[in-house]
Amino acid sequence: MDTFAQLLVGGLLTGLVFALVAVGLTLVYGVMDVVNFAHGEFLMLAMYAALGLALIGIGPLLGLPLVAIALFLFGIVVYRVFIRRLLAGPPEATVFGTFGLLVLLQGAAQATLTSDFQSVPNPPLQGTIHLGPIALSQASLVEGIGALVLTAALFAFVEYTETGRAMRALAEDRVAATLMGIDVQRVNGLAFGIGAACVGAAGSLLMLSYPVYPTAGAPFALTAFVVVALGGFGSIQGALVGALLVGLLEVFGGFYLAPELKMVPVYVAYLAVVLLRPQGLLGRR
Amino acid sequence: MTAKPHLYALGAIVVLGLLAAFGLHEAVVLDLVFTLLLYAVLGQSWNWISGYAGNISFGHAIFFGCGAYASALCVTHGLSPWLAIPAGALAAAALALVTGFPTLGLRGHYFSIATIAVAALVETFARTTPWLGKANGFELPIASGWAALQFPQKGPYVVLALVLFAAVQLATIALERSRLGYYLRALRANHAAAASVGIDERRCKLIAFAWSAMMASAAGVLYAQYTLFIDPPSTLALAISIDIALIGVVGGIGTLWGPAAGALVYVVLAKAVALRFGGAGKGYDLVIYGAIICLIAALRPYGIVGTIVDALRRRRGAVA
Repeated sequence: MDTFAQLLVGGLLTGLVFALVAVGLTLVYGVMDVVNFAHGEFLMLAMYAALGLALIGIGPLLGLPLVAIALFLFGIVVYRVFIRRLLAGPPEATVFGTFGLLVLLQGAAQATLTSDFQSVPNPPLQGTIHLGPIALSQASLVEGIGALVLTAALFAFVEYTETGRAMRALAEDRVAATLMGIDVQRVNGLAFGIGAACVGAAGSLLMLSYPVYPTAGAPFALTAFVVVALGGFGSIQGALVGALLVGLLEVFGGFYLAPELKMVPVYVAYLAVVLLRPQGLLGRR
Repeated sequence: MTAKPHLYALGAIVVLGLLAAFGLHEAVVLDLVFTLLLYAVLGQSWNWISGYAGNISFGHAIFFGCGAYASALCVTHGLSPWLAIPAGALAAAALALVTGFPTLGLRGHYFSIATIAVAALVETFARTTPWLGKANGFELPIASGWAALQFPQKGPYVVLALVLFAAVQLATIALERSRLGYYLRALRANHAAAASVGIDERRCKLIAFAWSAMMASAAGVLYAQYTLFIDPPSTLALAISIDIALIGVVGGIGTLWGPAAGALVYVVLAKAVALRFGGAGKGYDLVIYGAIICLIAALRPYGIVGTIVDALRRRRGAVA
């Protein structure tokens, strides 16, 4: 029973971090119908940025807003010079174009920063908190709660601000939204920037307990693709529900199967959901 | 559209290839020709599902791996490597059906994500399963002759690769002129209109995907018999899938000669990268491949052959 409770809380905390990564992906998908296959590499860049700041004395938590802003600007630049052009081409172009970006960024990281695993030296929050029978590392607690707060903030932004309304309008009906005077390029660029800022924040949080290396983002992105499909493409609440589910599947799968097989239940769940309910758990047809 | 010029071109390539296989003895050159043909086959295999059917696959290495592992398993268990051709094809087609059945009838990006997920699963499975050699892979025992599908010289391998390449090109010419080919083109042009006249999207694309997987598997068998050593990084890893997608994209998706052109560019590039930066593994190759995929996606989404065809059409249009 204690093990079960421990795994449950661990799974939910892991799921919250997945949620923050996935909401960035789902926002971009909803607004411009692009699955950014380089999303995980954006996360990897953010982790290196957080590491760089930590090396000059700005810890991951203090550095979080800086990294998020840097990734926001990076996202806007990538949209302006690259994604915009892909959108003008055939539908496959956005798929293999963002995949090319994945390959390019992984290679660039490997060539300039080596393949070594690197961690923040003397990271904060190394203690353990005991809640009854459950033991939690402070780092994973802060990661989970931080991710939840930021996911909620993004949800509020999309739900209650004028720009958020414009994004939802574009997701709903691109042509009608354009006719209502919404500047598609501006809103697309903002959405892409915000999507990148999400992994900017997530990358900073992850540096509390994870090492960074050129392919560090890939497993998170892969999980995020599954989360987004599970929750329904474009749905932020769906991403949160999907992420919690995937977090639980991964933690329980890792414990009861074998650590290296922890992704098996996640992928099986993906194929099953796609087969039985392709619009996702909370998605619309 | 007439197939004649394509058949002449293919005939010329086969003749040139045979001349090379029997006339040349430089191992380096023959190795290059073999690699070129093998990559052209893999690119064409990718092109069937990602080009003609329009669903981008990021996990194509696993079908290649099916053939390679089937070959290794047959040979290490004392069976004929020829048996690996149907066995690998069967395994590859089964994997294609598992990946494609839930996802190929759907709009959106479900398929591409599923290819990444299934590829990761298969690689993990091979890395952790004792009878698949775990991370160590297999070393194939040395033999010689057509029964063992192993040869001391490289010439026969080039002949085999040439046969496979010709078969795959002929199959693609047939696809372009077949009902399935027209259905796929109709689905790409307007899936709603195609569905409204009764074209079953999932069924058409599953057939294309299964053929695609079986072609890649055949290439895998040949690869294993050629190198006599396989392991997950050399047959199943994402890096191999990246190479295959690069070859398909560079030459031009959905074109008959695109994959061959892409393979040519890839082989030259890989050599140049190896000369300049000392081979793969340092990331420079990925930077260059990634940049090329990005540039083509943004500027010339139909690749080399697509661009040439476009220019020809425009000229013909201007003359008429």
